[in-house]
Amino acid sequence: MIEINNLKKCYGERTVLDIPSLTINDGEMLAVAGANGSGKTTLLKILGGIIKTSEGSFVVPEKILYMPQNSYAFHGDLIKNILIGGADRSRAFEMLDKLELTHLAKKKAKSLSGGELQRLSLCRVLSKSCDLLLLDEPTSACDATGAELVIKVVTEYKEKTGCTVIISTHSPLLAMNASERLIILNSGKIDADGSPEETLAHPGSQWAKSFVAGWKI
Amino acid sequence: MESFRQAFELLFPPDRELLQIIGVTLRMSFFSTVISCLIGLPIGALIGSKSFRGKSFINKLIHTLMGLPPVVAGLIVYSLFTHYGPLGKLNMLFTVRVMVVAQVMLITPVVIGLTSSFIESASKPVIETARGLGFSGYKTARLCIGEGRSSLFSVVLNAFGRSIAEVGAVSIVGGNIQWKTRVMTTAIMLETNKGKFSFALALGIILLIIAFIVNALASFIVKEVRDD
Repeated sequence: MIEINNLKKCYGERTVLDIPSLTINDGEMLAVAGANGSGKTTLLKILGGIIKTSEGSFVVPEKILYMPQNSYAFHGDLIKNILIGGADRSRAFEMLDKLELTHLAKKKAKSLSGGELQRLSLCRVLSKSCDLLLLDEPTSACDATGAELVIKVVTEYKEKTGCTVIISTHSPLLAMNASERLIILNSGKIDADGSPEETLAHPGSQWAKSFVAGWKI
Repeated sequence: MESFRQAFELLFPPDRELLQIIGVTLRMSFFSTVISCLIGLPIGALIGSKSFRGKSFINKLIHTLMGLPPVVAGLIVYSLFTHYGPLGKLNMLFTVRVMVVAQVMLITPVVIGLTSSFIESASKPVIETARGLGFSGYKTARLCIGEGRSSLFSVVLNAFGRSIAEVGAVSIVGGNIQWKTRVMTTAIMLETNKGKFSFALALGIILLIIAFIVNALASFIVKEVRDD
């Protein structure tokens, strides 16, 4: 279980994240949505141990994997890029197959398109096992087909491993179809928290209402 | 054209004194580059990868030292190693070793500054990805070096370029002594002062050829590394 208490992140005078209390159950798949600068990435980075909090505390499982918003391609081919993560070869090929990148296996990772690179980054992360999976906008560079594939593979991974998954996203598709719970952040604060359908039907604040208005179309 | 003819005559067959000067130049540039990089690369990596109080001041200081006039560096080293100086007993003044010391003083801030800038900007996504995969600090650092090897190689090349082209500091601490501490740049300066402009220019052409060969070799290595 993930427990957050009075979590705050400030840059100088500016508070970018302020969460008094939040509990996420084991095995839950949570989507965090919000406008740019709402604190989604900051929340994921704090939970992933990438950055430190300014105030407050949180409890997270030991084995955590975090996929950054900007995917990085290491030197070498796709296989080498996955093996860097510590996976074995068969697992690497399995993930490439699942994310439909097998035909590019021997290609230099630096030459991939944005969407392909994002799927490669996901391959690298999902080749390992964890208790908490943090994905920062994992479909932002993907087309509709690629995004659906990512959602399918992440859901399978979650079902197979039973890990907790937190995804930050701008995508209604990801938030509505893949997650069991949706949190909407506004200026670092939780504006809405519930099942995606519930949140969509009854957004907590006027801001959350206008934010999800576009998703209903 | 006269300078090109003289440069050709000096090289084919090679003039004995010229070979000695080239030897001293390469030896001094090589050792000063190696020592500067051994000091500067880790410090630059540390400054670039960490956030700490006073970092902005240290960066300003490094940037100031990057523009340290070579003559000033030469004077400082001279005053340290002169007979009455604190390191006078080492008896190193007017040797290639003290020329290397002066060069290290000049080049190390450049290596630190360039490395720190590179690590701070280019390594951020590598660090984030590595930490996200749960890598240790050591493994993350190794990945950063591996990923930035071509950029770091450019830092080394830059240091070598600064070293081989330097004249002010090495002439003060080395004394431009024939068959001992004379390097290409001080030889060019001497010939210019003697009024032998075309001969000085010929030496300049040879210096450019050496720099070109070193850079071409380095570029080849970098390409090999990048294609790996």
